[in-house]
Amino acid sequence: MHALLQLGQTLFAAANSGPVEGASFLGLAVYFGLLLAILAGLMAYAKRGFGVQVFKNPITVLFEHLYLFIENMCVGSIGPNGRKYIPYIMTLWMVIFLSNVMALFFPEAPTADLNFNLGLAVMTILYVQIEGIRTNGFFGHLKHFAGPKLGIWMIPISGMIFCIEIISELMKNLSLSLRLYGNIHGGHMAVESMNALGTSIYIPIGAFLMPLKVLTCVVQALIFTLLTCVYLSLVTHHDVEDHAEAASSVAHAH
Amino acid sequence: MLGLGLGIAALGCGLGLGWIGNGALQGMARQPEAIGKLQIQMLIALAFVELVFLLTLFIAPGNFAGK
Repeated sequence: MHALLQLGQTLFAAANSGPVEGASFLGLAVYFGLLLAILAGLMAYAKRGFGVQVFKNPITVLFEHLYLFIENMCVGSIGPNGRKYIPYIMTLWMVIFLSNVMALFFPEAPTADLNFNLGLAVMTILYVQIEGIRTNGFFGHLKHFAGPKLGIWMIPISGMIFCIEIISELMKNLSLSLRLYGNIHGGHMAVESMNALGTSIYIPIGAFLMPLKVLTCVVQALIFTLLTCVYLSLVTHHDVEDHAEAASSVAHAH
Repeated sequence: MLGLGLGIAALGCGLGLGWIGNGALQGMARQPEAIGKLQIQMLIALAFVELVFLLTLFIAPGNFAGK
């Protein structure tokens, strides 16, 4: 216990000392508020296009296509019961994508900050665990970690698989958040160092990296939501008849 | 030393990404109706390969500091 306390104190001291990288929490809150304002404005504008036979409002049509895309992704990777998770997945998609687009124009954006990404990842993994418990029951969910049924003599092996699965579940937080952070923040760093090359001739060479960054915006938002779908599909399959199909899709996912 | 190490890591990452793209493109060309499924699996694989390079990028400066 004492060692744990000491570790916590050391971590706090390390976090408080040294130069602060990126925006402070207040700065992050300002950018996140801006993002939410843009999102709310867009959706309020899209809502005004309702109530007609054919949607003519371009923003409404845009959101409809986005919804169809997300629905296709959810149903395609989770199965017929994936429709339940559309609200969460779509929220994730819109926040991450808009924040990535903001990162093109501003020096700092919510997803270019590790704290925000870690928050998103922890939220996602907790949601996946809760959905797993809700679908299979608490012990069914725990049994899911222990791998396939191997028989009474293989209990040590199952225990080892259980430990490894727990670790991999914790590592999912790290991998989800670090991937997003590394791609967006790494894009900023790459643009800055390429700009430094062109300072003597007054050409912002980093601007030529923009098409790649636009591509990264879409791909990173897609990957985050897609991996969320895959994790959800891993924990929520429970029927015997689709077990073989789910297992094959799992094998492909890895 | 750090630059060389990162270069080697980027080389490996590029080889992996290229290989994935090659495989996915060949599969798509042979079976155009499977493009949707292949794209999703390809993106997941790309994400995993990219993550390895990003981990290198985060771990390397700490280990090479001052050397």
